[in-house]
Amino acid sequence: MSLLEVNELETHFVSRDLDNNIRTARALNGVTFAVDSGEFLGIVGETGAGKSLTAQSAVGLLRPPARVVGGSVRFAGTELLNLSDDELNGLRGHEIAMVVQNPRTSLDPLTRVGDQLIRIRQAHVKSSNSEARKRALEMMDAVGIPDPERRAMAWPHELSGGMAQRVLIAMALMNEPRLLIADEPTTGLDVTVQAQILDLLRDLVKRMNMAAIIITHDLGVVAHYCDRMAVMFAGSMVEVGPVKAVFDRPAHPYTKNLIAATPERLKLGETSILGAPPPDLYNLPDGCHHRDRCQYAEDICLTDPKIEDVAPGHAARCHLAARLLETAK
Amino acid sequence: MPDGANFRAEAAPLPGFSVTRRIAGMSRFSPTAAIGLTIILIFGILALGSNIFMPYDPVSSFPERVLQAPNADHWFGTDGNGMDVFSRVIYGARYGFGIAIPAVIISLLIGVPVGLWTGYRGGIGDEVVMRFFDGLRVFPSIILALAVVAATGQSLINVIIVLGVLDSPVFARVVRSEVLALRSSVFVESAVAAGNPTWRIMFVHLLPNAIQGAMAQTAVRAAWAVRISATLAFLGVGIQAPTPEWGAMIRQGAEFMVSGQWWVALFPGLALIMLVLGLNMLGDGLQDFLNPRRRSVK
Amino acid sequence: MTFGRFFLRRMLMVIPLMLGIVFATFMLVRIGGLDPVGLLAGPTATAAEFDLIRGELGLDKSLFEQFFIYLGNLLQGDFGESWLSNRPVLDDMLDRVMISLELLLWGVGIGTLIGIPIGLRAAFRPDGSFDHISRFFSLLGFSIPTYWLGLVMLFVFFYLLGWAPPGVGRIGLIMSPPPTVTGSYFFDALIAGEWEVARSAASHLVLPVICMAIVSSAPIIKHTRAITLEVLSNDTVRYAKASGLPKDVVKRIVLRNSTVPILTFVGTEITGLVGTMSLIEFVFAWGGLGEYGLAAIVRGDFAAVQGYVLFLALFSVIVFLIIDFVVYLIEPRAELT
Repeated sequence: MSLLEVNELETHFVSRDLDNNIRTARALNGVTFAVDSGEFLGIVGETGAGKSLTAQSAVGLLRPPARVVGGSVRFAGTELLNLSDDELNGLRGHEIAMVVQNPRTSLDPLTRVGDQLIRIRQAHVKSSNSEARKRALEMMDAVGIPDPERRAMAWPHELSGGMAQRVLIAMALMNEPRLLIADEPTTGLDVTVQAQILDLLRDLVKRMNMAAIIITHDLGVVAHYCDRMAVMFAGSMVEVGPVKAVFDRPAHPYTKNLIAATPERLKLGETSILGAPPPDLYNLPDGCHHRDRCQYAEDICLTDPKIEDVAPGHAARCHLAARLLETAK
Repeated sequence: MPDGANFRAEAAPLPGFSVTRRIAGMSRFSPTAAIGLTIILIFGILALGSNIFMPYDPVSSFPERVLQAPNADHWFGTDGNGMDVFSRVIYGARYGFGIAIPAVIISLLIGVPVGLWTGYRGGIGDEVVMRFFDGLRVFPSIILALAVVAATGQSLINVIIVLGVLDSPVFARVVRSEVLALRSSVFVESAVAAGNPTWRIMFVHLLPNAIQGAMAQTAVRAAWAVRISATLAFLGVGIQAPTPEWGAMIRQGAEFMVSGQWWVALFPGLALIMLVLGLNMLGDGLQDFLNPRRRSVK
Repeated sequence: MTFGRFFLRRMLMVIPLMLGIVFATFMLVRIGGLDPVGLLAGPTATAAEFDLIRGELGLDKSLFEQFFIYLGNLLQGDFGESWLSNRPVLDDMLDRVMISLELLLWGVGIGTLIGIPIGLRAAFRPDGSFDHISRFFSLLGFSIPTYWLGLVMLFVFFYLLGWAPPGVGRIGLIMSPPPTVTGSYFFDALIAGEWEVARSAASHLVLPVICMAIVSSAPIIKHTRAITLEVLSNDTVRYAKASGLPKDVVKRIVLRNSTVPILTFVGTEITGLVGTMSLIEFVFAWGGLGEYGLAAIVRGDFAAVQGYVLFLALFSVIVFLIIDFVVYLIEPRAELT
């Protein structure tokens, strides 16, 4: 059993439009993946595919009008979707740590950096001020912040983007998490700094045997740093598997198109792949959501595909996946 | 913002657009605005159809019935001149609308182009205009309005013009900030690249988008206009007795208030509160409407 | 920048503003075809006074020289004389400053003390019944004419119930005011140990202050709620929740991050509230600077109007200065500019 098992997670946004009709966006409609300790999983997809939403849904950070409506999220055997908000709060920042984007605005501008580290420690683990402070300095050192004693006195706005991101990672590590979720941790950072941060993350994950998920729109990052990858499209997971396997033998047509695109397109930007318009989550097509832009679509694609193994540890949500892989060999 | 929220939130075309459904939807979204609009409509009907609703002529007096408390003949009593307060209150609705609507229109006509121009062109003109507006903010609006009206002449038309001019900075500022945000958008840049002249960019491309913020403000500014004009009349500036304007009526009634004849000043005040409240409620709803974050089911 | 330089820089900023106002009034009068002598002298002036003023203004000299004479006078504190009171305008105003300040501070103070907690509570429980009720009352506060409220309160509490004193002045007519220390009858009476006078002063303060508090709380409730809602959905708070910080810790983070914007808002509101204060002074015959200014504008006491307008500008600059300084003390990101 993996540390984190997500099974067909479904999240909806429900709103009323001005004509008094209820409109439902099926923002997540079938997310399935698993992460084990020591594994580094990368979740990729276009903007709007539901990557961040998956993480938020899993740990109870959704705000109305978003709501989890189905599926299961098991962490170390416990069903997270059944836990109360207080119980989830106990897990967040403790066993399940998050590293978010926009580190400089995410840190509390009115509290010194060191005090914030102490605060997150004392929120979850009973410790004295000196104990917490000692650990804070240790973590700052572990993430490569020079002169931690002095830096701990800094205000968040005095830090550079890269330094602030390191602080966020230190905060995530303060309480010895078992699962680390990094949501676009390197957006807005310099390219060189990005590499440093990612190296740091990978190093820590391996050393501390954590399970880690990185959410990104950058295929290059996934290719270089992750062990396994999951591809999201229109709110569902269309392919999951070891990075090498997925890159060498992509099973889902969407993944194929992604990877086959020119090197410049490895980075998924604001515009969707192949110039197609983003799917309308309020009006998803019946059956496979990808069929409207899939070059292999057949009649069977009018029914919902299930996620199925095409090789050990490698699964795809496509009726034709197995056949396509055969012909590709 | 969850990345799953990048969906297009336009209504799917439903068979048969229904007015009742649209009204129900908007009322559900902002009951405040719905109530406010209802109140405004009621007053509007009173104003337009005042001849029907007034039992007496608002400016003819009954000298033998001075300062009568509310009774069967005079529901709101009579004032110091023996005039029927109820009829005067109803007629006063005309002043409310008659001042607020033109004043807001003037504010829009001045403020929107100024906002468009300063936002788009920037430069020294922008600096000067903005500094000037900032300078004006130093003064309480009532004092400013009072001073200008007192100085430039105390006619009704003048009050309307002055209020219109003094409130235009609000619209200018709102439009300007929207234009500043839009100025660097792809949409505008491509229009510029296509060689559109400035005026066309301003009015065809920028205006429809930038106007939203200004529209949201109209109801609130109308409320302000009604309030301030009544205050001016209360202070004896711009509108004199025996005009049946609510502020002037309160002025008349003030001296009687402390000697027990409460009805002379109370009812015009209540009417004023209701109309201003209705406008503010509508304005509140309009401002909510333009804030996309609040468009969720409750 | 040190406080000294900050203060100096801000005070220096007043100068262009004041110059602008002076210039505007000077020009409006001269160019607008109005008779400056007539305006300054007022309808009650004698021929001799006319001549005196004409001489002082130096109307025979060039426009340029006139402006400098004018400016020079102002800088020496000579704002001219009010024809209503026949006293120098500056004296008139200085007498009344503390009177108005007492009302303003009490009124805005209580309005803030009520308004902020209500706005906060509404933000923490959005769309609940408390939220809706408080929003309604806030809108109501925006819609009630201050002067009407004052009149109604006088009717109810003075005429009907006899609880409040008549709305004339700051203490009972038969009493004599205490020796001046602060300018507030209430505090001066306490200081002098004159308990009866203090009670009278307090009872006269009640209604005007309540009026002021009700009207000033409306915008405060609305904006406190709006600001707090914004903070509740900002990155910092979202990250705090993602870090599993307990609810009371998150709440403290929200409150602290809302403080500066709320404070700044109250500071900017104060300028607008001076207008409300003036109307209350008028209704209650308070004898303060606001009433003085209103009367001056309505009656056309030009010298007094000018002095009043310049004073308002100075007051606003000082208020903004204080707010910015307090923000600087609280907010680590702020610098004194």
